[in-house]
Amino acid sequence: MRVDIQSLGTYNRLAQEGAEHAAASLTQMTGIETYVDVTNVTLMSKQDVEDVFGGTEFVGVQIGLGGGLSGETALAFDQESAASIVDVLVPGASADDDGEFDEMAQSGINEIGNIMMGGFVDGWADYLGASVDMTPPNYVERAGTDVLPDGALDRAEEEHVFVFESQMTAVDQEIDAYIYMLPEYGAFADMLAASDDHDDAIPMDKLTVFDEMTRQGAQQAAGNVSSMTGIETDVDVSRLSFVPIEDVPNTARDEVYIGTVMEFKGTPGGYLAILFDEPSARTIVDATVPMELDEPLGEMGESAIEELGNIMTSGFIDGWANVLQTSIDHTPPELVHDMGTAILSPIAGRLGQSQEYAFLMDSTVVTPEGEFNCELYAIPDERKLKEALDSLLVERSDQLEADQESLF
Amino acid sequence: METYGRGTNSTRTRRRVGIADFAVTDDGAVLTTSGLGSCLGVGLFDESAGVAGLAHTMLPTAPDDADNVAKFSDTGIDAVVSAMRQEGAAVDNIRAKLAGGSAMFEFDSQEESIGKRNVAVGRTTLERLGIPIVAADVGGDSGRSLRFQGDTGILVVKSAGDERRL
Repeated sequence: MRVDIQSLGTYNRLAQEGAEHAAASLTQMTGIETYVDVTNVTLMSKQDVEDVFGGTEFVGVQIGLGGGLSGETALAFDQESAASIVDVLVPGASADDDGEFDEMAQSGINEIGNIMMGGFVDGWADYLGASVDMTPPNYVERAGTDVLPDGALDRAEEEHVFVFESQMTAVDQEIDAYIYMLPEYGAFADMLAASDDHDDAIPMDKLTVFDEMTRQGAQQAAGNVSSMTGIETDVDVSRLSFVPIEDVPNTARDEVYIGTVMEFKGTPGGYLAILFDEPSARTIVDATVPMELDEPLGEMGESAIEELGNIMTSGFIDGWANVLQTSIDHTPPELVHDMGTAILSPIAGRLGQSQEYAFLMDSTVVTPEGEFNCELYAIPDERKLKEALDSLLVERSDQLEADQESLF
Repeated sequence: METYGRGTNSTRTRRRVGIADFAVTDDGAVLTTSGLGSCLGVGLFDESAGVAGLAHTMLPTAPDDADNVAKFSDTGIDAVVSAMRQEGAAVDNIRAKLAGGSAMFEFDSQEESIGKRNVAVGRTTLERLGIPIVAADVGGDSGRSLRFQGDTGILVVKSAGDERRL
């Protein structure tokens, strides 16, 4: 199967508009001003799903879809955000000492879920020219991957799943809400399928190879950090998503980072940013530089991070080169110390001159005790990525995952 | 939730402008945008009409079939100005303030940085519209966050720990 990038873009836009409707409904019902932060569509393996949803607690609703669009959706709030919304929506309803919501609160969450998801699917129904049926909302209070529709994880084990994710945030308050939509795989694959002569298509099996490249790159980078600092590290999240180019800068949090940025040359071309938040950078510098350094990080600290960025970059590139079985040229990594969105904006700007969407590969390197976390963003040039994948031998992808071909 | 006991600005409505996005206010709202790197921020204010607008554009010049005009500096400025006119602003009375367009890093490349080109196209577009630029905080190699006060037209720029009022 080949995936038509253009239609993936169209569905991403429908999800974005749907999320904006949902956020507007939330604002209208609660008076809390909210906006849609990022919408992306991610191709996830079972491990990706576990990485992303593991270790978190959510309150929300699940709603099944049928008719023109079949699949499953979930609207999820973290416990505190749900409590703030219940406070406004159903004054008097509350959470008991264990943080469990009472029946009134649950029905409030159900009601808002129903209305928000109704807003979310409206645009899809219009676009598809067919009505979309929704099951009644099912209230859930669960941890981690269990917030996802039943069976989603098992399906991810058999084949990668597409996950549409939108994050909504309140302007003046600490409230976050997430919409997840997992279209039914077969039906969605048909919606995406491109005719063979379409130049804008990427073979699906090779896209999953690219997901593997991200994972290997991040693991090699993490390995190099461990050998340099003696701190044990692990790759927490690693995923391939597809986002409008103007959303790329927003994938970094709105805080100050220090790290390195470099440009890949040749095939695949693109950019790699390795970013530590300031407390993490501090931890790393204290572990590697054997003297007391100024507060905040001065030139010495910055140069230690630059060195680390260099080492991680070469690890990441080795991971890619392994999968692609080619050498990859790149510019020397440059030190950056600024707001995350500002750091990623020129990358989005450069790529945005020739493409409207980006494949974004983001990974997080963490330590078991949470001493630091480091975010890696690899953003390939879309045309160069296609070339790289086109020249990738299919036998190579067979080697990576022996049964891949039988799945598609 | 209402915030009490703070200055007037914090109780005013705050509207967030995303990337490739703009907002217009005729009731003195504070328009904010954050993480401007190579992107351009354009604050426009018609004092007599009490109408303000803020755009956050990402790329210099729009192609013919642009699907989101707010993404580009030329069409983005045109879009804010026409939205302001609908709220009662007159082009002759609009004054502009520019911020952003920095070169966060020097890529190994011959072409001029996106930031510089965003600023250049911003200036040309405003000149074409006959809107004078009364203040600018552009270029350099640091990111910026903006707060544009819709009641006064004051643009507060935060960058690398500094705060400047334009």
